Amino acid sequence: MKTTRSRRRAFCAACAVVLGALAASSLQTAAAQQMQGKQAVVAAPRAPLAGEKGGPGLALLARKVLAVPLDGQQVVDNAVVLVKDGKIEAVGPARSTPIPAGYEVQDVGDKWLMPGMIDLHTHIGGTYDINDMVYLVNPGLRVSTSVIPKNEALKRDLASGVTTVLFIPGSGVNMSGQGVLIKTGHERYEDALVRAPGSLKIAQAGNPEGWVMGIGRSFMNWDTREMLKRGQAYAKRWEAFEKGTGPRPERLFDLDVFPDLFNDGPDGHKRTQVSTHTQMFQVVLMTITMLKGEFGLDAYIDHGSLGGYRAAELALKMGVPAILGPREIEIPTRQIIGWTNSDPDAIRGMGAEYQKRGMRMIGFNTDAPVIPAEELQLQAGMAGRYGMDFSNLEGVRGLTIVPATTAGIQKRVGSIEPGKDADIVVISGDPADPRKWVEKVLSDGKWVYDSTKERRLW
Amino acid sequence: MRMNRILGTLALASLFLAPLARGQEPEPAADPKKPDDKHKTEETWFAVTGGDVYTGDGSFLRGATVLAHNGKIERIGFELDFPADTKKLDATGYRVYPGLVAISSSGLLGNSSSEFEDTIDPFSQRMILGLASGITSTGVGNSAVKLERFRIAGAVLRDRIYSTFSWSSRNPSGKQGLRDKFRATADYMREYRDWEEKVKKDKELKEPPKKGVDNAVLSVLRGDTIAKFNAGDRDDLLGIARLAQDYGFRPVIDGCQEGWTVADELGRAGAMAIVTARDRRPKDEHQVIEGGTNIQNASLLYRAGVPIAIAVQQTGVDLSGLVGRDIMGLTIEAGFAVRGGLPEAAAIASITIVPARLLGVSHRVGSIEVGKDCDLIITDGDLLHYNTFVQWAIVDGRIAYDKQKELFFAQIRPRPEPTVAVGERKLDKGESKPEAGKDEADKSGEEKPKEEKPKEEKPKEGREVGALATAPRLIAAPNRNGYRVGGKPVARLTE
Repeated sequence: MKTTRSRRRAFCAACAVVLGALAASSLQTAAAQQMQGKQAVVAAPRAPLAGEKGGPGLALLARKVLAVPLDGQQVVDNAVVLVKDGKIEAVGPARSTPIPAGYEVQDVGDKWLMPGMIDLHTHIGGTYDINDMVYLVNPGLRVSTSVIPKNEALKRDLASGVTTVLFIPGSGVNMSGQGVLIKTGHERYEDALVRAPGSLKIAQAGNPEGWVMGIGRSFMNWDTREMLKRGQAYAKRWEAFEKGTGPRPERLFDLDVFPDLFNDGPDGHKRTQVSTHTQMFQVVLMTITMLKGEFGLDAYIDHGSLGGYRAAELALKMGVPAILGPREIEIPTRQIIGWTNSDPDAIRGMGAEYQKRGMRMIGFNTDAPVIPAEELQLQAGMAGRYGMDFSNLEGVRGLTIVPATTAGIQKRVGSIEPGKDADIVVISGDPADPRKWVEKVLSDGKWVYDSTKERRLW
Repeated sequence: MRMNRILGTLALASLFLAPLARGQEPEPAADPKKPDDKHKTEETWFAVTGGDVYTGDGSFLRGATVLAHNGKIERIGFELDFPADTKKLDATGYRVYPGLVAISSSGLLGNSSSEFEDTIDPFSQRMILGLASGITSTGVGNSAVKLERFRIAGAVLRDRIYSTFSWSSRNPSGKQGLRDKFRATADYMREYRDWEEKVKKDKELKEPPKKGVDNAVLSVLRGDTIAKFNAGDRDDLLGIARLAQDYGFRPVIDGCQEGWTVADELGRAGAMAIVTARDRRPKDEHQVIEGGTNIQNASLLYRAGVPIAIAVQQTGVDLSGLVGRDIMGLTIEAGFAVRGGLPEAAAIASITIVPARLLGVSHRVGSIEVGKDCDLIITDGDLLHYNTFVQWAIVDGRIAYDKQKELFFAQIRPRPEPTVAVGERKLDKGESKPEAGKDEADKSGEEKPKEEKPKEEKPKEGREVGALATAPRLIAAPNRNGYRVGGKPVARLTE
């Protein structure tokens, strides 16, 4: 039942893209047509290359592999990574990892390999009409219907080594809809899709105040809570039905995301998360206490900035990860900027302050196009600059395995481990360093960006 | 020789109505009314010792000393002799770079909308953040200024630097108009020179008419100002290059986004470019050949011989916390140029000596050279690394910024307290204090300065005194020549 439902949702989303092409709406049509054109190119028969699905195996040799699994050995020197059928088969030191016969060997020399990076807060996955502000809560809206795979912004994302993004609606209202997790390097939606819904986007405060004159945090919290209660009740009915203890509930499309949010999937985890646009201290408190504490949702701090770090100890206790950016520091403003509700004694780095309070699950996001998609690496660099300790590869992990785990897709992406998708970036060094650049990107075993063969995009 | 220098300094100082005594006091020490009062003249000596000096002109001196006299660099080298009252800053283990020159910034200390000096706020918090980012001089509007803390005199290095022109394909008649102005002005200058010769014989000869002559163009062709264009389209860049070649001037092109597509032409025309490495601009769809921005822009222009100054996208200080893009991220932007292939040395030049040249102030700032202003930054690492902080910024031979003494960054990777002073050595764990003279046992025949410590050598006490007044770590080891500072670990000073 569960799989049927998710498959149906994926199908619906795909249909929507195709329907978009048929509709006479301007931007979407053009983009979708472009996409269709590319599909035709993709459809042309070509023998799969090494590493791709159905092709021979690929062995990548590198001086250093930043494997960054959640636990275990983080770095392998003088390593070989074996890729077969779009999946990572093995990773280990070259001397002890035999390369099977028939594998194509590619040596990347002094470059390093790292997992494809993951950006959990972007708005650049498709058309930009993703901030509907008619109602204050819209859990039924889906940006999966707006995806334009491998669009120009996603191409730049890809060129900076970001292979997976969470494309989410804007923060103009409290609940602006469902995000979608997509890969950046694929030309068909079906190939690009990692998971839909990727998240439910909740913006607790900061922007939705502009929705209408006179609303404040009390009302917004009350309104969000009421919707979550409705959703919880709806999810319970579905849970009962799936367990065989209740009748089949009526399908309510505006609440359709809630069973995924409230009910556990087959792996015992929630099937999707709440990506919360939350940054100020009091708002982050509400994220932790209301979404996680009160409703038990798999919520995480997204777009974490400003004074939110003051709630980091509670976030740690409650198991709420923090994805930080694009504001990586807080400056003593002497109340020049009133809306932050925070005036620290000195310049405070977000990453450093979360880390100081014991948090380990710290990742980074760009909020593209606020910060261009290709500057995800810089977010890590700036967290490091302003005091975050990177001695255990926290910078690299914050770009890869931490967001993967946060978004519940760690079984597929986020590290170079056997069995995961072969999303591998060839980079000239420490990814947090702006001087280090991405030479090539492998996504699902296919070279999707190669600066040695095409113009460098970043 | 020294007298000449002092007189020169006096002349320069009176020119700028600067305080003659470049004293260590933060307030404007001298009153500008009495610039000739020689009794008030105070010789100030300042030395940064032991740092790894990157002079900015290609040389690297490990553990060298930079000695400043009255705010100007007097000597750079090893084992220098200098007077006893020299203030010293021990930079052992740190790197010394020239103070950065931001080609453009806004809000750090004023604006050039009118008389610049009238707008300067010498107590600006943003100036501190500018110094903390390593910037000691900057272009602001049409002026070049120094980040002088607590005083206004001497802040303006140069005024009226540029004559700004517009050259855009969107305004063809404007292009034609500018070309006409250049033609008329060039003709006028030729006629004027001709007249200058002839008028010697014929006193009655009239001056040539100034019809069609543009004063801005005239100042460019005379070399008084620098022609500046804001342009990024390939066609416009080619047009500017042609104009510059036709009339023999070197244009500064701000933006220059598609410069990489016509780098050779710009290089041949002697153009100079102000480039933002991360500029983003799509290619014009009507253009058949390659276009748009390119991360390799700075690199490709540099390789074609175009001097590059790196500018940031957001010229002010961003108080909202979007880091790495505002003026505090100048070195980050240079780092992105390195990402695009610019050599590291060229990237450092692009935020030091090249912008100084573009602003016409390279005789004062932009590199560590004898005779230039003693504007230095002392960093805890590679200037372009994202983790590197400026520990001290020196402006005119005085400490203008000390990371540990300012509000903003002191708590981020705090600088370790100085642990080593003359005659002392940091003890390793479990090591007992060595007996006196034991260290020198195998180094016979050398004088031992150990007991002759002057009082001011207690470094921790020295650091308690006012933020700008006192060099924090005083290390003076007397030898037979008077005083010397070795650019080596102090334990080896006794050699």
